[in-house]
Amino acid sequence: MDTEKHLPLKAAHHLALLLLAQEPTYGVSLMQRLEERSGGSIRLNAGSLYRIIASLVDDGLVEPLEEVANPAGVGAPRKLYAVTDLGRSVLRAEAERQEGLLEMARALDLLGEKR
Amino acid sequence: MTVPPRILRALLRLYPPRHRRAYGEEMWGAVRYRSRQTGRGFARRARFTLVAGLDLAWNGMRAWVAYTGGVMMQGWAGIRLDGLFVLRTLRKSPWYAVTAVVVLAGAVAVNAVVLGFVRGTLLHEAPYEDPASVMVVWGSNTRDGQLRDVISGPNYIEMVREARTLSAMAAFHHDDTYLTGGASPEVTQSLEVTADFFDVLGVRPLLGREFQVADRTSSAPATVLLSYAFWRDRFDSDPEALGRSLSIEGEPRTIIGVLPEAFEFIAPATLYTPLRDDILEADERSRIHYHVIGRLAPGASPDDATRELSGIMTRIAREHTGYEGWSVLAEPLHRVAVSAVRPAIWTLGAVVGLVLLIALVNLATLFRMRTVSRAGEISVRMALGAGWTRVARVLSLETLGLALAGALAGLAAAPFLLERVTRMIPVWVAIPDSAVRVPVLRADLDPVVGAFAVGVVLLGAVALSLPGFASAIRGGARARSGRTHRALQGTRVLVGLELALATVLCLGAALTARSAIRLLDTEVGLEDRGLLTLWVGDVWGLEYDDQATYFREIVREVESIPGVTSAGVIDYVDFLAEDDYARVYFLDRSFQPTSSQREEWRRVGEGLFETAGIRVLEGRSFTRRDLDGAPRTAVVNEAFARKHYPDGGALGRFISTHDQAYRDLEIVGVVADVRSLGPAAPPPPMLYVPLQGSPRGTTGMYVRVEGEPMAYADAVRTALWSVDPTQPITGIQPMSDLVGSWVAIPRATSTLISTLAGLALLLATVGVFGVVAYAVRSRTSELGIRLALGASPRRLRRDILAGTLPLVLLGISVGMASGVVAARAARAVLFGVGPADPVSMTMAVAAMTGAALLATYLPSRRVERFDPTEAIRSE
Repeated sequence: MDTEKHLPLKAAHHLALLLLAQEPTYGVSLMQRLEERSGGSIRLNAGSLYRIIASLVDDGLVEPLEEVANPAGVGAPRKLYAVTDLGRSVLRAEAERQEGLLEMARALDLLGEKR
Repeated sequence: MTVPPRILRALLRLYPPRHRRAYGEEMWGAVRYRSRQTGRGFARRARFTLVAGLDLAWNGMRAWVAYTGGVMMQGWAGIRLDGLFVLRTLRKSPWYAVTAVVVLAGAVAVNAVVLGFVRGTLLHEAPYEDPASVMVVWGSNTRDGQLRDVISGPNYIEMVREARTLSAMAAFHHDDTYLTGGASPEVTQSLEVTADFFDVLGVRPLLGREFQVADRTSSAPATVLLSYAFWRDRFDSDPEALGRSLSIEGEPRTIIGVLPEAFEFIAPATLYTPLRDDILEADERSRIHYHVIGRLAPGASPDDATRELSGIMTRIAREHTGYEGWSVLAEPLHRVAVSAVRPAIWTLGAVVGLVLLIALVNLATLFRMRTVSRAGEISVRMALGAGWTRVARVLSLETLGLALAGALAGLAAAPFLLERVTRMIPVWVAIPDSAVRVPVLRADLDPVVGAFAVGVVLLGAVALSLPGFASAIRGGARARSGRTHRALQGTRVLVGLELALATVLCLGAALTARSAIRLLDTEVGLEDRGLLTLWVGDVWGLEYDDQATYFREIVREVESIPGVTSAGVIDYVDFLAEDDYARVYFLDRSFQPTSSQREEWRRVGEGLFETAGIRVLEGRSFTRRDLDGAPRTAVVNEAFARKHYPDGGALGRFISTHDQAYRDLEIVGVVADVRSLGPAAPPPPMLYVPLQGSPRGTTGMYVRVEGEPMAYADAVRTALWSVDPTQPITGIQPMSDLVGSWVAIPRATSTLISTLAGLALLLATVGVFGVVAYAVRSRTSELGIRLALGASPRRLRRDILAGTLPLVLLGISVGMASGVVAARAARAVLFGVGPADPVSMTMAVAAMTGAALLATYLPSRRVERFDPTEAIRSE
């Protein structure tokens, strides 16, 4: 699997992929969790959110599971989005890439001894 | 109420269909979630709508880019393949490709040139501080019909003191000046300006200082400011030039500053010398001599200034004689600078717009026919599995390639075209209703203009060809029959439009050509061919008698040159927009003045009328006796005689002037009018008096020669310097050039419009040709059957012609009607012909009908080569 061409992941894409890797999620709740987990720095609106989802789907990192009825029982059916195998490999590759960077930062003593 | 506004729902519809299908409902859910989160309150709702709206619009656009980009970029290989395919198909129909590229290139080039002129003139902004508030202040001598005239020194001083609508004013005087101290005197242009001149313009010198209050008095040391070009050429851009001395007309002047390189003014000069207030104030009020500029006070308009200054002028007219009927006109300097060329540029702009439209319609027709004729090929491709995106890519690659080639060729051709057009335009042009000439502003062909020209053409071409594209693709899989007919109908409408537009242009061309011919044919009152003109002498310091002697001697010397028939002097050369006025008193039998008027006058020497070829209509010309001793006689022109002696009988009447030397003069002759303000302007009334009374110190000279006038320039110089080698000689040029400069703009306009109309005619012809050829081809089977059934080819040809005739007639009639309306709007550029001139109309109709018939006849000849069996089999 060619994971290299997807690296490095953009911050919002990365976080969304990590959240979806925890458990399959609906679009709107992904939006909420992105905001919570990023401490409010990633506050997406509908357009940006679905551009990210669409690009993750187009790249094959995420797939929509079959539609399920809205949990509240009203409104249109919604889709759960889940990470694919390729998505997991890309997450792993990204983590390794970042670990390498982290090693370098440690070697330069940028993080400090006291940590 | 936390329901999201409807506009957001509408924005969702702008997304690409695929994206909308996959995520549309969910996105709306997310919008609703955010909307609920936002809560109530107008400000919060408004902010939410704005943020969410921008988010949807922006991401929608990105989705389209990603989507179409994906389609377009289905790998470079695909594009290369399609590119090669396009090249191959184009090679098979080279005429199509060449026509499209040439039409596009022509449209881009012509468009760029005209836009360049608009940018360089109408949109030109002088490098002044707030250029829009710089005004030219004219004395308006409505009684003599001179709307834009100069102002006298004392009147200027009073205006400066009283005017509140202008925050600053300055007077200036433009003249030739002589740089002395070298081997022979060198002539250059100088501007005498009052101390506030550069303040009014808001211009600071590049080096040194401008004139200050200290320079205002006559006792101040003589100073001069240099133009950048003069400083660069003469002093090699040496900053040490400041403080050095320059000898101007024998007087040493200290250089105090250098103007910035970008500085420009309607009266260009290399040297700027101070014009002193005390000199202006002490000047005679009747000596109307200075041009005036001013800067509008904050909040004041040009109309306010005109009103206020006219009020001051009215008061002056009450207190002093000679200003009855005068007022003041304040108008923006920029408007003055372009006033002479504005009508021509607008007309050309409109004409080019029409040509552009025709070219675009032609392109659209071309593209349309092309896609329709490829319908078969497209349907086969689609049947074999090519998606519509693939077909669209091939078609857009082809169009894009042609457009790019056309745009590049057009941009490459634009500078050459511009150069040709510029060569037709004079360097100087007269401001209407005045005796002022200003340099014509030049075209500005920069990248902005180029980009704009290309943009307009390409956008137009795309907009006009899209419908053809869409129908070709949509109908690609459908059968061909029926659709071709519809496509043909659409194309016929376009071609009808094209014919109408071309008719407008042909009428315009005929009208301007006829008006230019009228102008060129107008008698200007003197024989300009074979006449050399020049300025000579700087003998202001000599006694009047010695000046007169000097002028007589130079005439004698010049007349001794072999090939020179005669020579004569006149204090102002005609056709240079110079004017000089005398106050003329009309006398009764007891030599008492009955009335007085301000009229133009010229002081002339022996043989002037004969040399210039100005005909004597009544009485006689000046003889040697008139030109010796105190002047006793005068000659007037026809306009003068008609104005002051409407019942005839100018001969034998007596007049006096304000000048002591010209009193009690008997009018001994009436000569033909010289249209010295150009053939389009009425000739000014003119009084001619013998020169020796009070010569002007410098004079114009006319030299009648055999053959080419400029061939005598050196001989004339040598002859003049043999009398006095220290005298400056300037402005040697043939009279025909001077006369020609007055008709150059109409002539250039006419040439350009005729060229453009020719292009339009050609384009329209190509359009008609294309439609008829296409119609013949699409009717192949029908015509074939009729041939087989015994119809004669002649009959078929007549039918084809009859099918086109209504289109042609309708197009030409609509064009004719619009043309007359357009010509009425552009009357300012016409001379001596009305907008509904029957000759021009006939010419236009004939040209258009001829071209349309030819364009129909040529393709209809194909019928004769038809083989009926072949024709039927082809379907």
